[in-house]
Amino acid sequence: MNNFGVIEVASTATKNTPGWAYVPDTGPALSAALQPANRKRVARKQTTLSFSDLSAREETRIRKDLEALDRDSHKDANIAIPPRPGGSRVQNKHTPNVRKILQSQKTFANHLDDYQAMLALAESNPGAAAAMNAAVAKPSTPTTAASKSASPAPTAASAGGSKRSAAAAKRAAAKEKQEQEKEKKKARRTPKAEPEPEAEPQLQQQQSQDDQTDIEMPDAAAPTEPMPTSAPEPNPQPSTYPRESLILPAYAKPPPQTHPGDADPLLVSHVPPFPSDDELRALMTAPPLSYLEARAEWGDEEGRYPVRVFCAVCGYWGRVKCMKCGTRVCALECLEAHREECVSRYGL
Amino acid sequence: MAASRKSRAAGPPAPSTTLVLDNGANTIKAGFVTGDKTDGPRIIPNCLARDRHRKTYVGSELEKCRDFGEIALRRPVEKGFVVSWEAQKEIWDREFFDDKAPQRCDPSETRLVLTEQPNALPALQTHCDQMVFEEFGFASYFRGVGPAFNAYQDIQAIFHTPRTPDTPVDVPAEVILVIDSGYSHTTVTPMVQGRPLHQAIRRLDVGGRLMTNYLTRLLSVRHFDMRNETFIANEMRESVCYVSLDFKGDLEKTWKGTRGERRDDYLSGAGIARDYVLPDSHTTFHGVVRDYEPGVSARARKAAVSTEDILTLRNERFVVPELLFNPSDIGLRQPGLADLVMQSLSVLPIGLWPGLLANIVVVGGNAKLDNFIQRLQMELLERVPDECVVRVARPEDPIISTWVGAANFARHEHVERLAVTKQEYEEHGAGWVTRKFAAGLPVEP
Repeated sequence: MNNFGVIEVASTATKNTPGWAYVPDTGPALSAALQPANRKRVARKQTTLSFSDLSAREETRIRKDLEALDRDSHKDANIAIPPRPGGSRVQNKHTPNVRKILQSQKTFANHLDDYQAMLALAESNPGAAAAMNAAVAKPSTPTTAASKSASPAPTAASAGGSKRSAAAAKRAAAKEKQEQEKEKKKARRTPKAEPEPEAEPQLQQQQSQDDQTDIEMPDAAAPTEPMPTSAPEPNPQPSTYPRESLILPAYAKPPPQTHPGDADPLLVSHVPPFPSDDELRALMTAPPLSYLEARAEWGDEEGRYPVRVFCAVCGYWGRVKCMKCGTRVCALECLEAHREECVSRYGL
Repeated sequence: MAASRKSRAAGPPAPSTTLVLDNGANTIKAGFVTGDKTDGPRIIPNCLARDRHRKTYVGSELEKCRDFGEIALRRPVEKGFVVSWEAQKEIWDREFFDDKAPQRCDPSETRLVLTEQPNALPALQTHCDQMVFEEFGFASYFRGVGPAFNAYQDIQAIFHTPRTPDTPVDVPAEVILVIDSGYSHTTVTPMVQGRPLHQAIRRLDVGGRLMTNYLTRLLSVRHFDMRNETFIANEMRESVCYVSLDFKGDLEKTWKGTRGERRDDYLSGAGIARDYVLPDSHTTFHGVVRDYEPGVSARARKAAVSTEDILTLRNERFVVPELLFNPSDIGLRQPGLADLVMQSLSVLPIGLWPGLLANIVVVGGNAKLDNFIQRLQMELLERVPDECVVRVARPEDPIISTWVGAANFARHEHVERLAVTKQEYEEHGAGWVTRKFAAGLPVEP
């Protein structure tokens, strides 16, 4: 089922005007009737469990706020290139590639969407994608280096030309779609990272086992002494530290003086085993992640704590909410200041 | 064609001059390396600017600008990557290639070492390579991940590691974790022997621009509309903001109190409040920070010196950089900087942790914030095992640190193995170049 090549794109358009709908009034208690039946909406709800007091409207507001903060300037500056004072440099002819690049009006967001569309295409329809652009054959290797070598035309041309329509559609694609893709990619990343360096899973397993078997490691004498750059070195068990490691050679100096307390079982410190050369080499030669994969996401840790809220007027803790619009303020004085301009507009 | 192949077989001599460019979103750091001689980088604003008299300034011409009010900026670099080559070419032309350019060079006899942010989009990388060779025509070129160049410095000098004078300096540094907090974003890059561990590079989308915009928003709510004064707000952020070591306490000190109440700390300023005198564009062109004078009400001060516009900054000073450590304060669902480091480490073998944690270098403009490294060290210590030594340091000038590293790299033998010549580009094409740069140095043993 490839859906005849049609890729479903969720709309990200947000309306400033209110739409309306009949909603069952079930009182303050959130009943099952209010639970969305749509699978996507359920998913969206779940991700925001920690924001217990965030309604969809507030979510939208936060999203818009963030977008505004991310822009370069308040107003879009459209500054044309000023004429050269001397006009000294002779205008030589540009090559076709250069002309295309110079005339491109694409923003970073456009490029990112193009890239995502390319990845999505490669994922949903590998055959077509491969035919279109051999570069994107594998989404798991985001560096399209391999692809570019195969196609004589630089990717810029193919990305700009043939995929422009797809990109334009994608540009409008909803944030949730991005989110989903990101999650998918994340899921893909975890299994992918392992098999690439061949021996790594086993090595890591070994390592974790090693971790559990307590390694006797008399502490390097003075804890105040700065660590050698590579590994905490001197130890009587060279077996855990591949002294023969070529990538990170062992600490060459004589180890610091032993201390009588070194043997004390209470003071023995636990030093993790050092990765082997193969492991290091695999890490050092691994291909770069894509732009989206490298973006840090909330782990399980961060979502667990409530988000701090601040007074919208003075910046102190937001201890009370405006009853009209839900904005947080600190105390009565700020609440009054806020009320003067509190407008509970739709879609705000 | 035949001629070029022949010349390549003969091995064209490597160009003696290298232009080292750290092409940041806010400023370009540029300088030449000739032989063993390095002249310090020039810092060039990377933007086209138009003031309210409709006069346009390009790059370093901005120094001549006297009125930064309502200035509009166009930046060729977005999110750390060159997107608008039309604007970037204009700035480079005026700075490097024109007859009267302040740092004139002939690309056909020059090697270019250019930094880029990690995890770039392939299309943008290709654009960059094509522009360098097909438009500017550099003889030789290397494009590398910006933070990675920091390894080509005497890292232990930054940490003031006690050592004997005869200790050899490791270049590139063996194990180092670079945090690059710039105008567009903040990245964490662990490195072994100068090679970035790509699987562990993580990015936090908080940088100078976001913080400036946030400061602008806060001021616009509390004082007056600054939304068109991004440039002034940016200067203000650079001069007054600091990272709080005790966020709750500082916030408490700057609170005015409930209705009718005025707390002592609030009235006295508690050492936190500062007066910022805005430029009036006639006699002063840059803002000035002053100590807060308690006891004098804002109105009285206004009456006394009516010509000055004064903003009293209180919690804005530390709430803004707090975004680096708690991005969720504005609803951005990303981990703070310390968690970012931990996320990066979590994909690496634990055996590397002690080395990386003991060698954390913070570079980029935000590293200049007061208490930044202390706060980061404090938060990291809470998160890592007891036995780990955590050392966080910043170079003397964190803004040009990447440039200095890149300049050292330009003299290192590695550059000969990595750089690509124009002939090679013409022979093998853009794809080959991209692959070569992505592969980096082979791991020797």
